[in-house]
Amino acid sequence: MIKRIYIHNFRCLENFELQLALMPSSLLIGRNGAGKSTVGFALQMLQSIARGTNRVGSLVSTGDFARGRSDVPIRFEIEVTLGGKAYEYTIAFELPVGFKEVRVAEERLACDGLDIYSRDKAQVVLARTSSAGEARFLVDWHLVALPLIQEQNESDPLRIFKTWLARVLILAPYPEAITGDSERGSLTPDRKVSNFGEWFSGLLAHSPAAYSRIDQFIKQVMADFEDIQNPNTGKESRSLLVQYQVESATLSLPFASLSDGEKCLFICALVLASNAAYGPLLCFWDEPDNYLSLSEVGHFVMELRRAFQNKGGQLIVTSHNPEAIRQFSDENTLMLFRNSHVEPTQVRRIADLSVKGDLVNALIRNDVEL
Amino acid sequence: MSVSNKYRPHILVLPEDDADRQIANGFLLHECVQLRSIQILAEAGGWAEVRNVFKDVHTDEMLKYTQRFMILLVDFDEQADRRQVMKEVIPDSVADRVFVIGLWTEPEDLSRHGFPRREEFGRTLANECYEQRREVWNHDLLKHNADELERMTILRPILFA
Repeated sequence: MIKRIYIHNFRCLENFELQLALMPSSLLIGRNGAGKSTVGFALQMLQSIARGTNRVGSLVSTGDFARGRSDVPIRFEIEVTLGGKAYEYTIAFELPVGFKEVRVAEERLACDGLDIYSRDKAQVVLARTSSAGEARFLVDWHLVALPLIQEQNESDPLRIFKTWLARVLILAPYPEAITGDSERGSLTPDRKVSNFGEWFSGLLAHSPAAYSRIDQFIKQVMADFEDIQNPNTGKESRSLLVQYQVESATLSLPFASLSDGEKCLFICALVLASNAAYGPLLCFWDEPDNYLSLSEVGHFVMELRRAFQNKGGQLIVTSHNPEAIRQFSDENTLMLFRNSHVEPTQVRRIADLSVKGDLVNALIRNDVEL
Repeated sequence: MSVSNKYRPHILVLPEDDADRQIANGFLLHECVQLRSIQILAEAGGWAEVRNVFKDVHTDEMLKYTQRFMILLVDFDEQADRRQVMKEVIPDSVADRVFVIGLWTEPEDLSRHGFPRREEFGRTLANECYEQRREVWNHDLLKHNADELERMTILRPILFA
């Protein structure tokens, strides 16, 4: 579970800290441009590193420095607890005067306060282990070290942290692009969930029992859902088919032909099943209420909240939808503020603000202030 | 949230305010609550508004949907007759499907009584319902609901898997 995220000089986030300890689920609210989605982009940057993207140029660009202030490093810090151990990962990027490409200034991964490795500019120091002494080596300044360092074994803290970070779900689905086709399996859906078919295949290959969780959720929301199949369409390709049945009448539909909202229901099912099968996961879902009918929103959000509360893991969602907002409470709703485009984002728990009356109406009146 | 099938037994909760809604949210976070059978409505904006909304909107719908149960979640503000005043607008024909419960004072007092987190409080209440215990339910803030809770045992099969 994430205890703390700190982001500095990245887009609208300056000296920005999210304290998420004891929050299995939380809601980010705020006006358009307040920085909610930027939190997701920051997490996605870290996720990309763990998924193997190591070229700095593929992770951040000169345009990511807050207000073009490239004399101050962009810094990300994340503190998480995994299997009872406290992990801290820090990475800072700099753009020295006269340079055109952003490079790594500093990097560090620690477990329970002890460095696994640390890095200053190009110099990496791999901490002493029981079997080997301290190792020092140089890494290209334009490469992040985390994906490069060899894991020792399954229980290596480096592997545990990297696997967790790679599996973080950053979701902002674009249903129209979701076809349900796949040529391989994957446990790492992309932001738009355009590889839904791969995720489905990968999840069931990893844990066939996950199907029952998917089935259970979908049958609750679609009374006529019979099953979902993933037949071969070529030597190495598959395509999802959804079967419906009402008494003796049956219908088989390609996944691609489902409505946008229906696709999101299946995404929710896969999130729930994935957290149970290979979690605990961190899931950041940007506006999960998009595409859903008003009657479904509350149930959908509460189902997600409850799964992450009771099965471990952590859920962070953003929303402008009153029904979604009502599924959270003052203690786990975080309001992001930004006075103008030249000022940084600030964040407060609703519990720490004085909101008169109900929150949704206060938001509609734009009366929630620092 | 919408119940999946309004022709099956289901429960609507009408909370007085945001604070009561948050306690109800906590109730739903209990893993054994059947989420599709219960729906928390938008806060009414005061106990008198709960009364008005029930009378103006829900009375007719309760008659139409015979599998619907309602919980009116109000603050008692230390008024012993609050439940009676609420029940004045509940027709006899639906009275056995409507329940009036709430805190003896108001949710803002929960912290002072050792319950700083509203959702956690709601979840504790759900757990006691599930395990058929009455420890927190017998707290000074809640014990005036005992008779109503007894009536509410008919909701158990709807609420819990």
